Amino acid sequence: MFDNKHLAIASVPTQSWEKVYDENEALHKGTIFPELDKPFFVTVESAEPEKKEDGRSEKQRQREELLLQIQKVSFVVDDVRLYMDTHPKDRQGLALLKAMVQRRKALLKEYALEFYPLTMDCMADIYEENPDSDCYCWQEGPCPWEGACV
Amino acid sequence: MWIYEKRLQYPVKITKTCPKTAQLIISQYGGPDGELSASMRYLSQRYTMPDKGVGGLLTDIGTEELAHMEIICAMVYQLTKNLSVEQAKTAGFDAYYIDHTAGLWPQAAAGVPFTAKEFQSKGDAITDLTENLAAEQKARTVYDNLLRMITEPEVREPLKFLRAREVVHFQRFGEALEKTKESLDSDNFYFFNPEFDKQFLK
Repeated sequence: MFDNKHLAIASVPTQSWEKVYDENEALHKGTIFPELDKPFFVTVESAEPEKKEDGRSEKQRQREELLLQIQKVSFVVDDVRLYMDTHPKDRQGLALLKAMVQRRKALLKEYALEFYPLTMDCMADIYEENPDSDCYCWQEGPCPWEGACV
Repeated sequence: MWIYEKRLQYPVKITKTCPKTAQLIISQYGGPDGELSASMRYLSQRYTMPDKGVGGLLTDIGTEELAHMEIICAMVYQLTKNLSVEQAKTAGFDAYYIDHTAGLWPQAAAGVPFTAKEFQSKGDAITDLTENLAAEQKARTVYDNLLRMITEPEVREPLKFLRAREVVHFQRFGEALEKTKESLDSDNFYFFNPEFDKQFLK
């Protein structure tokens, strides 16, 4: 902090909780915190790039939409978790973390039941729903790095 | 223990083959300020941190860096997966192609292989956290340089995301250093090594 300045050592002011971006904006910006959003001058482009219509099936479109939801909610969890690591007593941060981990859990379950499991724990959701399932589902779905050609 | 989640932290959808761009971006896989170096740095340093919370932060950021490495690798993979020999010859990817075809291998943009010499784990909390502040800045500069050279929006979006993370991590390491300082005597932060001379810790 500036009121606690010492010579011969690095100092960074401690952040305090302010308004945060919603999950849609956060993933696009790379942080939930507007005060840490410091873009580079050559990157000042407006909105997200346009989504081209590319002959994806309806099923694939739905799957990618739900996966994007999971990415957005999980990213809020990632960023607020790092904040909580250095601010473990922050109530507003904790409230957001609580809400988001629960949404994440529900979305992961929905994705597992609708498409395929993203983690080993999600396989439990599949077998709880359908105890007689004979699907070893872990290898279902595209590899995460396949991107546009899935 | 780690648990794999079958998704990228940020979506990567690159539709155009471009080995030249792959050759630049690969530096953030195996280069001096790349994501592999970042994750190994933090995940190595955490064991001896005197503050448990700082050890936890290093685990969480080190884990996120592994996910960033996966994003970079996905980008290199997608930029080269439909590569023809002709493209490899003309786009400056030829030397890489001879040794690795289109496989992923951690190296810097100039071909220097990944090495643990790129990072430190010094066993002194102030030293290591100060290294981490610098490491985040160095990685940010690499993303700045990539963003100056690369114009393709589908490649720029993940790079902008990764650059933003460097700024956030810098802030967190700064806060971790402040927290570490609280357990030391502000008249002389350097009177002892907080990771080794534990008898002096407050």
